[in-house]
Order: sequence, then structure tokens, then C-alpha cells
Amino acid sequence: MTVLSRRAFGTAATAAAATLLVGCSSDGEGVRTSGTATSPSASASKNAPASTNTSAKSVPAVGRSAPVRLRIPAIGVDTPVMRLGLAPDRTVEVPPVTDHDQAGWYEKSPTPGQTGPSVILGHVTVGSYGDGVFHDLGRLRRGEKIVARLENGTETEFTVTSLRTVAKADFPADDVYGNVDRPELRLITCGGPRDENGYLDNVIVFAALTSSTSP
Amino acid sequence: MRRTVRRTVLSAVALAATAVLAGTAPAFADGTATPVPSTAPSEGTEAPTTAPTQDPAEEASPVPSEAPSDGPTTDPNQDPAQVAEVPAGAPDTGVTPASSDSGVPGTLIGGGAAAAFAVGGAAVFLVVRRRATGA
Repeated sequence: MTVLSRRAFGTAATAAAATLLVGCSSDGEGVRTSGTATSPSASASKNAPASTNTSAKSVPAVGRSAPVRLRIPAIGVDTPVMRLGLAPDRTVEVPPVTDHDQAGWYEKSPTPGQTGPSVILGHVTVGSYGDGVFHDLGRLRRGEKIVARLENGTETEFTVTSLRTVAKADFPADDVYGNVDRPELRLITCGGPRDENGYLDNVIVFAALTSSTSP
Repeated sequence: MRRTVRRTVLSAVALAATAVLAGTAPAFADGTATPVPSTAPSEGTEAPTTAPTQDPAEEASPVPSEAPSDGPTTDPNQDPAQVAEVPAGAPDTGVTPASSDSGVPGTLIGGGAAAAFAVGGAAVFLVVRRRATGA
């Protein structure tokens, strides 16, 4: 009898234990499913760095700060940089024609080192004053360096990727002002043949950020 | 005697009753205990398995499958223009030496200087020639 009662108790205990185990296994599946739930998030986190990797193909962008000086050692340029806006006819302003010619940054474009095309302009000639600050821009070659110092003391170094001489009538606005996925620089001046109205071409230097140093 | 008989009868009945109860207990345990855990867990497993497997699958799968696909593809396309306002036309970044107004006074000054130099030279020439002729 006691044996029987023990058996009954044992059976009941086994059943209770089995119920408990089933409960644990269901919890286990919940964890597993939560594990599978985390695996997509893991794949999402894999995707997230992938998108940052695409933007990290080049040097990381720097914060917005206006350029104050521009150096191009290959052609002996070392000039202050002024700010330029839009003229009443919606064309871009250019630096004044003076003896001490300087470059100008188009302030509606990104600052050098920000993601996007930062646009800096300079004269090739300044009338009776002679050569402009970008007189020798057309001599730049791929791989040569351009350094822009920013208001906050950061120095951004760009490397020339290409140089184009284009007719003013066919100015490639999309290539110059269009969105890009890394910090880039555009240096623009005039060039080519001249007529009674002035130069017929633009010389455009395309460069990409290769390093930056904070103060 | 009767008391002892009664006592033995009562105890026998009690024993028989306990024996019956004890006999039914294992039958009860065998018959009912096994179905309970076998059915109950099966119900128990179904209930929790369906709940967590469906819920996280519904919750988790749409979020990451849509979010990463939207992220990288929409970023480059939907970004606002990096150049806030694209200027019209081509930049006029070259003032030719002869085309500006400042060239006019320059040529006047140059011409005047050349004329003065020519007049002076002619005067010197005349003086030298008169001295040579003894006039």
C-alpha cells in the first residue's frame, strides 16, 4: 500500500515535473525566438556599418567652418579666402578686381571637409593688375595637394583627382554643384581663348579630401 | 465476544475499504495521471510555442528587413542638395588686361609719355644740329 501510494505520489510528481519541464521548454523557445528576433537586428547592425563603410571610403568629414586660407604648393598659391554669395542676376559673385587678388568660397556650398562639393573661385587675370591668384590653376596635375585652413583652425588637405577645361556655354553645373558622397573641393577660374567679352572657357579642378588635422 | 467480533468485523471492513481505496488509487494514478501530463503539456507547448514564434517573427522580421533596405538606399537619394542654391551660368573669373576701363587711362599715360619723349628727342636733335652747323 505504501508502495502503491509512493507510486501514485511518484507518478504525480513526475507529471508535475513534466509540466514544469514543458513550461521551461516553452520559455526556451521564447528565448530562441527572441534569439531569432535579435538575429535580424544583428543583420541590421551588419547593414548599418555597411552603410557607414560606404561613406567611410574616404577620410571622415569635418564640421562646418568657413575657409580662411588656401595653399596650393605646386603652383605657389597662398591666399586668403573671402566669402562669396550670389549676384543679383543669380550668377556666383567673384572676388573684386584688385592688385592683391584673393580666392573666394561660395558660401552656399559646403565648407571644405564637409560632405559635398565645396566651391572656391579665383581670377586667372585681374585686368591691368596682371595675373590673378588662380593664373596657374591649369598647370595642376592629378595627385597634387591643396590645403584649406578653416576658421576653427582645422587644416583640410585635398588631392587633385581631375582637371577639366570646359566651354562657358557648356558649364557642367551638375558635376560641379551636384551631390557627392564624400568631402570634395572644386577650384574654378577662367581660361582658354579670349574674345572681346573675355575668356571663353572655365578651368575646373576636382579634388577629394585626403586628410584633416584639428588644432 | 461480541465486542471482539464487532471489532474484528469493523476492522475488517476498514481494511477492506482502505484496500479498495488503495487499489483504486494506483488505477486512478495510472489512468488519469498519464493523460494529464501528456495532454496538458501538449496543450502547454502549443500555447507558448505559437505565441512566441509568431509574435517575434511578426515583430522582428518586418522591422530590420525594411529599415536597412530603406536606410542606405534613401540616404543618397533623399538628401537635400548639398549646395543650397546652384548659381546660374558660368563664373566670370577672368578680367582680360585690355577689356577693362582701367586700360584706357593706362594707354593715355603711356601715349603721353611717348609723345613727350619724342618731342624732347627732336629738340635735342635740333640743338645739336644747329651747333654743328655754327648757326
